[in-house]
Amino acid sequence: MKRISFNDYDKGSEIPELRVGPIKQMDLVRYAGASGDFNPIHNDAEFARSVGLDGTIAHGMYIMALMGRMCTDWAHPLQFHNFSVKFKKMVRPGETVICRGTVSKKKEEDGQKMLHVDVTAVNEEGEVKVAGELILKCD
Amino acid sequence: MKSYTFNVERGKLREFCAATGETNKIYSDIDYARSQGFKDTPVPPTFQTVFQFWGYKEIWDDMRSLGIDVERLLHMKENYTYHSPIYPGDVMQVQPEVSDVKIGKMDMVTFGINYKNQDNVLCVEALMSIVLRPLEKQ
Repeated sequence: MKRISFNDYDKGSEIPELRVGPIKQMDLVRYAGASGDFNPIHNDAEFARSVGLDGTIAHGMYIMALMGRMCTDWAHPLQFHNFSVKFKKMVRPGETVICRGTVSKKKEEDGQKMLHVDVTAVNEEGEVKVAGELILKCD
Repeated sequence: MKSYTFNVERGKLREFCAATGETNKIYSDIDYARSQGFKDTPVPPTFQTVFQFWGYKEIWDDMRSLGIDVERLLHMKENYTYHSPIYPGDVMQVQPEVSDVKIGKMDMVTFGINYKNQDNVLCVEALMSIVLRPLEKQ
C-alpha cells in the first residue's frame, strides 16, 4: 500500500475514481445481510411505496462503503484521521455510482500535516448523491 | 443509551467485504496486512455499521422509545474519527448517546458513539445524524 506524502499533492489533485454499477437489488440484499440493516425501504418495494418513496433505495452506508473502498485503494488506512459524509440524494437500483476525490486543502495542525480530500459519489448524470471529506495524516 | 459489546468475527469481515465489492487484500491477507504495519487484517473504514445493527438489535425499538418515527427516518450524516485499528477477535465495547437534537423544518437527532476495544483503547469515534422526513400533508 502506498503511504500518501504531503508534498506529492496540491489543492485540486484528483485521486483515482471508483465506478460501481449498475447497482442491483441483490447488492442491497447482500449489504443488508452484511451490515444488519434490514430496514424494508431498502429491500421491499411495496413497503417503500407505502411510506412515500418511488421504490427501494440503497443504504446510505453502502454508498459510503464504496467511497471508503476508493479511499483505501488510494491511501494507507493508518493515515486516516477522519472520514465524514452527508447523504444528499437517494440512490436507486439501476443507477451507477462514481466515487471521486479531489484534494481541497493542505494544512498543518499541531505539527501534524493534514491533507483534506473532498469526496463525492455521483450518478452517471452527475447528480451528487453523497458528499463528504477524508482527512489524512501525512508525513 | 444502553452500552453493548460486539465480537469482531473474521467471517463477518469477509462477508462485509464481499457485500461491498472490497478486494483490497489488506482486509483478507494477514501476512500482507502485517507487512503494512497492522497486527492482523483491519476492518474497512465504515465497518462500524455492523456493530450498530448486529450488536444492538434493539436499535429500532430504542429509537421509537426516544419518540422517533422510524418510518420517516433518513440517514443524513455519518462522521468517523479514527484512533486505532479494529481487528478480528476484538471485543468492542460500544457506548452510544444522544449528542444533539435540532427541531426545525426537519427534525434532526445526532448520536455520538464511541467504539473501544477489549483493552479499553478508543478505536473510533462516530457521529451519526438522522432526520425525519416531514409528514405529508393530509
